[in-house]
Amino acid sequence: MTHEFETKSRAMPSSMETTQATPAQKNDRRLWSHLRRLPPTLYIGGGLVFLFVLVAFISFFWTPYPPNALNLQNRLAPPGTPGFFLGSDRLGRDMVTELMLGARNSLYVSVVSTIVAMSVGATIGLSIAGSKRSLQGPLTRLVDVGLALPGILTALVLAAKFGPGNTTATIAIITWQIPVAARVTIGPARQILALDYVEAAYSYGRKKSYVLKRHVLPNIGPLLIVLCSVMFAAAILIEAALAYLTVGVQPPTSSWGRLLNETQSLLEAAPYLMFFPGISIVLTALGFNLLGDGLRTVLDPQQSRSGLA
Amino acid sequence: MTSLVEVSNMFFHYPRARVKGGEINWTLQDISLKIEAKSTVGIVGESGSGKSTLIRVMCALLHHQQGTVTFNGQDVSQFQGDKANELRRENQIVFQNPRRSLDPRMTIRRSLSEPIRALHDRNPDDAEIIANIERVGLGTEVLSRFPHQLSGGQLQRVGIARSLSVKPTILYADEPVSALDVSVQAQVLNLMMDLRDELGLTLVMVSHDLGVVSRMCEQIIVMRHGRIVEAGLTESVLSNPQSDYTAALLKAARAASLERESQG
Amino acid sequence: MLEIRDLRVSIEGREIIHIEHLDLQSGSRLGLVGESGSGKTMTVKAIAGLLPDGTKISGSVKFDGKDLLTLSDREFAKVRGNKIGFVFQDPARSLNPMMRIGKQVSEAIRIHSDLKGSAVTEKVIDLLGQVQLPDPASLLRRYPHQLSGGQQQRVMIAAAIAADPDLLIADEPTTALDVTVQEEILRLLISLSEKRNMSLLFVSHDLGVIRFVCDSVAVIYGGNIVESGLVEEVVTNPLHRYTSALLAANPGMPKDNNFSAFMGKRLQTITGSVPAVGKFPSGCRFRNRCQFVTDECSSVPPAVTTESDHQYLCWNPSSGGAS
Repeated sequence: MTHEFETKSRAMPSSMETTQATPAQKNDRRLWSHLRRLPPTLYIGGGLVFLFVLVAFISFFWTPYPPNALNLQNRLAPPGTPGFFLGSDRLGRDMVTELMLGARNSLYVSVVSTIVAMSVGATIGLSIAGSKRSLQGPLTRLVDVGLALPGILTALVLAAKFGPGNTTATIAIITWQIPVAARVTIGPARQILALDYVEAAYSYGRKKSYVLKRHVLPNIGPLLIVLCSVMFAAAILIEAALAYLTVGVQPPTSSWGRLLNETQSLLEAAPYLMFFPGISIVLTALGFNLLGDGLRTVLDPQQSRSGLA
Repeated sequence: MTSLVEVSNMFFHYPRARVKGGEINWTLQDISLKIEAKSTVGIVGESGSGKSTLIRVMCALLHHQQGTVTFNGQDVSQFQGDKANELRRENQIVFQNPRRSLDPRMTIRRSLSEPIRALHDRNPDDAEIIANIERVGLGTEVLSRFPHQLSGGQLQRVGIARSLSVKPTILYADEPVSALDVSVQAQVLNLMMDLRDELGLTLVMVSHDLGVVSRMCEQIIVMRHGRIVEAGLTESVLSNPQSDYTAALLKAARAASLERESQG
Repeated sequence: MLEIRDLRVSIEGREIIHIEHLDLQSGSRLGLVGESGSGKTMTVKAIAGLLPDGTKISGSVKFDGKDLLTLSDREFAKVRGNKIGFVFQDPARSLNPMMRIGKQVSEAIRIHSDLKGSAVTEKVIDLLGQVQLPDPASLLRRYPHQLSGGQQQRVMIAAAIAADPDLLIADEPTTALDVTVQEEILRLLISLSEKRNMSLLFVSHDLGVIRFVCDSVAVIYGGNIVESGLVEEVVTNPLHRYTSALLAANPGMPKDNNFSAFMGKRLQTITGSVPAVGKFPSGCRFRNRCQFVTDECSSVPPAVTTESDHQYLCWNPSSGGAS
């Protein structure tokens, strides 16, 4: 028996006392102090992610040079050369343009793969959490097997069978990430299913599928949001890795990973060529990770409201 | 005349509950009891007695492995589909911890509507909701709020309102006031007594507090280690316990309680 | 041996605790009774020096003549555990689930004494025996989850008395336990207090329990001690309206087996609910909920002490018997 005689701090006064009307001024001050207390990781991560999305977005409308424009007169120009802010590669393509197009590609692949992997994975996780007790063990082990599969190998196999490209890369990432989403969902979902309000739902006739959809899912929502940002980061890295291995996106489509591949032989002659795509990958993945961390800190105290320990 | 609920030689164990040697670890053993309509029965016992499990088996939230449980003369394990829904409508539970028995992400209004939506397949109209919330002594301003904005006492009233929204015949209450302060406890107990009389409810209440049971329940069932140790009219059982265990419970309860006249 | 004078605790500019006067004699047992939001836990934290950062505290808490509030964090840490022992509500949460029982109790011994090696083990076994745990030697290697709730609480008590403190503070120590186990633990606390001449500050919401264990009681509401005195006196002759309301709301057990008189009788309730911190009315903090409120109550009531050392803060006290 547990007794909670000290749960009081969050309770509002009884219904007999009305809530005070707050003038607009008070609201602004409260908002500001609220914002100040947010963790720095949220701002740094959010800033980086915002930058990334902005660059990718702009690339649809404008890049310094048209895509794949060759400037054979200005090959391997160092950064700072007029007209080539970050330099140019072996074929005279402007680095800034390439980076922007690469961002667009990364964004596309990571968005699609994360959305699909999260949807499928979370559904699988929820179903396993809601399945019969005796089945849960074996099914979770199956998910673990999926987790243990080396993702790169899957990608290579897929590329060998279906040819390299963006689609193959996206499918490879999805296959890689689904077990991750599933595995992370199972634990918290099971915890929620053991809570009183779930039992209450059964007591007034709700079926398990309803409970999973309307009670469990909303209450693990914050967790999934955090997971999404982490999966985004992973997708960015994997996409770059696959492109680097030439099983991902193919020329002439630009990708940071592909840039790394093409420029590695020029490391001595023009190190900056590897630097910029490399740092872009790092910063973007870092941004998503920090954002995820910041979100987790912000959403964590609220998690106790859903009943998760 | 058949009793409202009849349990005969019922045995229950949780799935995969086995001890060393392959023997089953029964949570409930050889339970036989009858609940008459409009009666109030208190089930007392300590932790591990199985009292909370018992009411869940009685309202068919858990399924027993042996013996029979009947509601209005019909075996509850046979209930499917529509009949199962009707069983749910007639049997409702109020849970112990009010903060945990409401979905923190649903407004009070939404939580209150859930049983009607689930069992009657329709949305309750405003008048219904307002009647429900006012019947438990709360004002309509709580409807748009979330659980974390209400006190424990208010939440427990909401829980009661939710259970009563489908007009059940039996209300099972699992330690409904244990998590509440003494003064709030008094309010909720009075409320339950009033509602029981007003709606003609049959009330089955699990409690570890003999004082509460003495006030609310004219019948009592004493449980220990999954078995019924003693049962009968509260007055007789508690003033003249037949079992040593009941006597021990009484002695311990008396020691740490205020002995008093009924009022004041 | 514990004297609290004009203790005021404020958080963010709001005064949440104001205790003018509270005494605990050496070797006696004082109950502090209050509901959620009464400030009883804050009071304990103030005495223990465990208030969160940012709280302002003034007044004096004299323990054995020394004012605890003037101590530095380090000095306070030495007092805690050594002179003042603590027992909390949920033993399952206060015991480290990953540490064996023997180790946890021996930690308490090691911190506050110079004993080493086998002397420590001997003392652990001795302490476990003093809290009436059977076969203490076998418990040393067990983990908390292998013990029942009652046994876990006994272990907590053993750790708390390891350094032979002069004062034991117990905050709802039996609330999470079964009623039969509760009786045993309460009797244990009484016997330890008597045998060791150890004072006991027993915090609870349950007046019945406090009556069983304590000699005197202080009722706390809204951060104020609204009534204090000998427990029998206060319970049979409550003077503050909150105390009598609290007694009336307590389900209690029928006197003289008069169960038929109890059945179906409504309990007297207190209207409204405890206001949130900072939302208490001016003057008497209970006046919004009191049935006997008068015009005088809008100013702070004076502390009145009767000849039987029964103190209360009420303009319009009850007279004779709980009403």
